[in-house]
Amino acid sequence: MSELATVARAAELNAQKEAHVQELRRESGRPVIGYLCCFAPPEMIRVAGAIPYRITGRPGEPTSEADAYMEPYGCSYVRNIFAQALKGRLDFLDGLVISHSCDMVQRLYGIWTYYRPLPYSRLFNVPHQVTPQAERFFMRELLFFKESLEQFTGQEITKERLAEEIALSNRIRARIRELYRLRLEHPPLIRGSEMLELLLAGGWLPPEEFLKLLEDALEEIGKKRAAQGPQRPRVLVWGSLLDDVAFYRMIEEAGADVVADDNCIGFRVFEKDIPLSEDLVEALKDHYFINFQCPRTDRGPGRARFDYIIQRAQEYNVDGVIGYIISFCDPHKFDYPDLRDYLRESGFPMLLIDDNYSFAPAGAIQTRLQAFVELLKSGRALSS
Amino acid sequence: MTASEMRRAKRHLETTRKMKDMLPRFFMRALERRFSNEPLAWCMVGVPPELLKAFDLLWEWPENFGTICASRLVAPDFIKAAEGDGYSPELCTYVTNTMGYCKLWKERGEPPEESPIPGGMGNPSMLLGSGFICEPRYKWFQAIATRYLDVPVYSSDPLAPPWDVDPHDPRIAGHYKALLREDLQGQVEFLERHTGKKLDLDLLREILALSHKALAYWRDTLYLRKAIPCPMGATDYFSAIIPQMYMVGEQEAVDFYREIYHEVKDRVERKIGIVEEEKYRLIWFGLPPWFNLGFFNYLESLGAVVAIESTYNVGDWFEVDLDDPLEAIVERTWRRAVKMHEYGTEVMPELCNPAVFGGFVGSRMLEEVVREYSLNGAIMHLTRSCRAVSFGEVHTRNRLAELGVPSLIFESDMADPRLWSDAQIKTRVHAFIETMAGRSPAGS
Repeated sequence: MSELATVARAAELNAQKEAHVQELRRESGRPVIGYLCCFAPPEMIRVAGAIPYRITGRPGEPTSEADAYMEPYGCSYVRNIFAQALKGRLDFLDGLVISHSCDMVQRLYGIWTYYRPLPYSRLFNVPHQVTPQAERFFMRELLFFKESLEQFTGQEITKERLAEEIALSNRIRARIRELYRLRLEHPPLIRGSEMLELLLAGGWLPPEEFLKLLEDALEEIGKKRAAQGPQRPRVLVWGSLLDDVAFYRMIEEAGADVVADDNCIGFRVFEKDIPLSEDLVEALKDHYFINFQCPRTDRGPGRARFDYIIQRAQEYNVDGVIGYIISFCDPHKFDYPDLRDYLRESGFPMLLIDDNYSFAPAGAIQTRLQAFVELLKSGRALSS
Repeated sequence: MTASEMRRAKRHLETTRKMKDMLPRFFMRALERRFSNEPLAWCMVGVPPELLKAFDLLWEWPENFGTICASRLVAPDFIKAAEGDGYSPELCTYVTNTMGYCKLWKERGEPPEESPIPGGMGNPSMLLGSGFICEPRYKWFQAIATRYLDVPVYSSDPLAPPWDVDPHDPRIAGHYKALLREDLQGQVEFLERHTGKKLDLDLLREILALSHKALAYWRDTLYLRKAIPCPMGATDYFSAIIPQMYMVGEQEAVDFYREIYHEVKDRVERKIGIVEEEKYRLIWFGLPPWFNLGFFNYLESLGAVVAIESTYNVGDWFEVDLDDPLEAIVERTWRRAVKMHEYGTEVMPELCNPAVFGGFVGSRMLEEVVREYSLNGAIMHLTRSCRAVSFGEVHTRNRLAELGVPSLIFESDMADPRLWSDAQIKTRVHAFIETMAGRSPAGS
């Protein structure tokens, strides 16, 4: 448990988020739309008068309920999410939006909506390459998405309201970037697990409340923390989705600090503002399609597509990189050998943890993390 | 797995047996052209081969090379080399087969001698990828061009509508067809840039006409398999797809498929089956175990005949107006997507393959197929390294169960024989055969 009261509050809220969202739904009369992945803008869901709810899994829970509908050789995260739905834990959802981020998530959409139809559901289709035709497709897809939301809620998504919502989400992004900057300090002023706990609250809290939580966190850290204490190895975590703080805690327990990340609930989504340009659909396309650095999008061959990770590793002065890949996650598994080699060339050792979304067996993972941290310590001692 | 458990296929048709002579001739012709340093493209199923032919481009299919390496049991050599570089054993083994091949080539400075084709795959001057069917296909050529071969890449990027969107809505059709059209245009521009040739539309039209003629014979041949006894089995089916991959738009391919059609028709008329006593008629789902196509002969030894396969399915959608040949390619792709959609694409929406060798995916199609092919059961190959083709089999099994058709799902791989467990699979097949015993065909 964090000694930061704001983070403890976020953890408490997150632990009861299903109940909180249902209460919010009852009080407001607004439908709740669950979503996965980061291509369909939650800002649009909000402006249409619905409550966006980022669906998360429960790492390590048995997924046998999914066996009657899905193969065992499938992404364990996807199986975990569908098992939540089959257990009835997501029955409060009025709608479901799944982006075509990867094959498995796309197929989850079909299986889920076939066996457990919802009042509203939408697959947000996403091209795999950044080409002019792909950009045009994405913009048309945004307009179809807007139209379908309006039809479901009966509320028009006006340009003015969308601009307001984007401005609010940009204020959130600015606060998150401030929090990330606190991790440039050595030791970092906010731990990786604490940062993720706060970000997870952003997946469901109303943005006004989330903004307040972030501001409270900044204020509390400003008062309570200074860059003092043991200087532990600094790591960047890259890879598949992490929607639970357990893995970051394991790294922290192994003796390192997670100071930077490149995964879906992390800096990828918040590093830039959505431009408040004249054409908001184009702005959303730029933000959610062009700028969102998920390896599922083929940005062409060569080293250039990895440079931003190396730059981030340098900026945050990390000692090494830990890759976390969920079993059968093709986009990340394809990139790993190249990324590992480019990082090595730039002086960053890398450890890969290949996991079935359970962080188990914890002992074996912990041993590998500890060995890696020891390696990083010796590297730091040598370079200092 | 021991190599002795793997069996080469016994083919039943004269025409497919003749391929033994035909294909080496083809490969030698290709090798001669390679030696004269003509541009060579490595490409993926999904790239319209007619387009490559219209550019008179020499091309090779790494996926098909994977199947040949698998059938000669050398794929593990390449796959292990790729795994040594950090590529996960979970990745598509067609991919890791190619990656390992590239790695060994780079290390040794010459095509790996393990290659089952004389001279191996050649040194490509470009990579033509396609995202039809699955997402590893985007990452595959991206990774090759990053790590092993510094050559230009064009990967086409089609998308198909999800199962709950109406493709007959003109706005939806416009949305998706615009992407297909613009993507094809991009592919043409890329080919023009890298071959230095301008696309000859008249030639493309002629090639498409020949290609579609061959496909029409092939489709009609497959429909003949509805007959009892079934005149052609899976070993002939999985062999006979090759000419359309390499000899598309050539009269030789048309002649091949015409001959196979007449041979199969003759067998139907004379009621010649492929086993002495046909007890069970099956549908096969998924990719075949290329290293052990003799497995189909094993099924036949139990009186079980595969009458239809879900993969490399042809269908009807190539009969399009060829006046504008590029639009014809878009149209046949879209028609396929719409047809699949009508059949229900809840688990595999991305199959809309313009090379006309896709899989069928529709759960509603099952009823039609079960009835028309008089099926007793389904065998589904759950390929660990190819989730794209096998993820959805559980759903298909559920739908077949509603029709009273039992299914067997067994696990292995399409290219890596290390994942084949002979005793276990055969035990399961026997148990499955027992569940079918006594049942009359669901379609009768």
